Amino acid sequence: MGSFLETFRNLETSQTILYVFGGAAVTAVSLVAIRKLTLKEEKRKDYPRDTVILHQIGRGPYAPSMTPFAVKLETYLRMARIPYQNVHGMRPSPKGKVPWIEYNGQPIGDSTLCIQFLNQKLEVDLNKHLSPADKGVAQAMQVMTEEHLYWFLALIRWIYSRDASFILETFKFTKFFVWMIRRHIKKRTWLQGLGRHTEEEIVEMMNKDIQSLSDFIGRKRFLMGDEPSEADCSVFGMLSQTYWQFNGSGYENLIKDKYPNLASYCERMKDAFWPDWDQCITHGGTREATK
Amino acid sequence: MRVVTNDGTFCGYGKGEDGQLMAMTDEEYHSACPGMTSAATKGIWSSPKSSPYPAPKGLVVLYQIGRGPFCPSVSPFPLKLETFLRFNKIPYMNIHSSRFSKKGKTPWIEYNGQAIADSQFCIDFLSRELGIDMNSHLTPVDKSISRAFQKMSEENTYWSMCYEMFAVPDKTRIAEVMPQYKGFKLWAFTTVFSRVIKKELYYQGIGRHSDEEIWTIGRADLQAISTFLGDKKFFMGDRPSQIDCAMFGMLAQVLWHMPRTRHEKFTHDRLQNIDGYCERMKELCWPDWDKLCLKHPSYQDDNYKTYHTE
Repeated sequence: MGSFLETFRNLETSQTILYVFGGAAVTAVSLVAIRKLTLKEEKRKDYPRDTVILHQIGRGPYAPSMTPFAVKLETYLRMARIPYQNVHGMRPSPKGKVPWIEYNGQPIGDSTLCIQFLNQKLEVDLNKHLSPADKGVAQAMQVMTEEHLYWFLALIRWIYSRDASFILETFKFTKFFVWMIRRHIKKRTWLQGLGRHTEEEIVEMMNKDIQSLSDFIGRKRFLMGDEPSEADCSVFGMLSQTYWQFNGSGYENLIKDKYPNLASYCERMKDAFWPDWDQCITHGGTREATK
Repeated sequence: MRVVTNDGTFCGYGKGEDGQLMAMTDEEYHSACPGMTSAATKGIWSSPKSSPYPAPKGLVVLYQIGRGPFCPSVSPFPLKLETFLRFNKIPYMNIHSSRFSKKGKTPWIEYNGQAIADSQFCIDFLSRELGIDMNSHLTPVDKSISRAFQKMSEENTYWSMCYEMFAVPDKTRIAEVMPQYKGFKLWAFTTVFSRVIKKELYYQGIGRHSDEEIWTIGRADLQAISTFLGDKKFFMGDRPSQIDCAMFGMLAQVLWHMPRTRHEKFTHDRLQNIDGYCERMKELCWPDWDKLCLKHPSYQDDNYKTYHTE
């Protein structure tokens, strides 16, 4: 190291500049080459035709995913009996988010748009038994869950959690990376608006949303009645996080203790569409999920 | 204009020539009560910790950003909050200012010296304080449906509307709803505000979609609202309820403050029941609508004007 610096110091200015620029150029070209090679490797995989390739971030410890939207999308594929294959990884969609799908080489981002695409392509209609007014209500329930309740879950899990060990163990992130994710979520929720409220206000709003879902479902088997519909995928996806994967938040038993009909609803959806549930979770990180 | 209250205490406003309670000018106020600040005149640079506006007990001070050209506000949230105050005949006074709440947003209120931010929290707070329950006639299931539709309109439809007005290339729509801005001021406002909205849209999530996808999302929401409303008089039935304030606030923007947008066209062409619904809400809570629209010939500035104080 010492002799290298000596040699460097002894060079003329023009040579120094040449070496510096040369070094930077070589680094840049190597990085681009590595990235291209890596991406090329992924693209070379031959996915089967007419099979939905579901890209998600891996199995969760107590539910099939740590993100509600992956549970929603996979529950939809199962409800609609669409052949699919999971690809677990951190590669995001063209919109920078997960989960997403590929179908016959075409990528589609956003769980709702994926469902719309597949409904059209494969002529699926999980809402055909609903009246137009009921479809409207289902739409409202789904959007309230995804655009309102979701933010409270994100804030409680990432910002207000008393004990971050669940997150650290599940994702195997470093504390620094978790700190970066927290910053990102604080920024997102601030800009969205809901992040400007206090923790007490957030918890109160979350309870009101969950109470609404509980009152609306009541004693029904599914959200809109005796038969499941598309919005059940979304509601189940969100509640799966609160019911099974809210460790460390201080609200682990919220659904079980305060909203027992929602607990039964979650179990019912699990039995109906996830008979292989135990093979789709890692049981607290103690074993590999086989499916 | 001297200070008057029944018990002789100083409250910072007096009666104008027509008997209406009017705020004093800053000079009059400062000379009458040295040491107190006229919080409302400070504008956006005032610290949120500055003194509340010295309103009498029981009067809601509603801070909002000013009137709109074709509707009493260019934003759904002040319209929602003010509709709530009017429907329940709660005494209130408007202060049109760019002073934001401690959460950095507007509208917000002060009540008996206490500041409350967020339009829904304001409604919940006043409902509790004044023993109001606009939803008392609704069943628990109806209340759930009502909440779901309100959240859908405020957390989803709202963003598709923001995109349509402020993030599309055609910026002429902004000029039409902000007639008080012209020339450089209009250009500066348009540039800065578009950038802020685009950032919010991206971080909220909807901004990552294509133009067509965002419109599809907004259209699905409007269709759901119209289908559920059907031919009912109000959103949940024959009697108005709390969601009517929110729904009217949002739909009034679509009808009157979104010129030449897909939302406006779709609503006018395919969702006629929304027109009738908004007209009913207008007649019920806003008989003085024309006086509160900037572009109407009978417009009157109602800054510091009080309502329901007789």
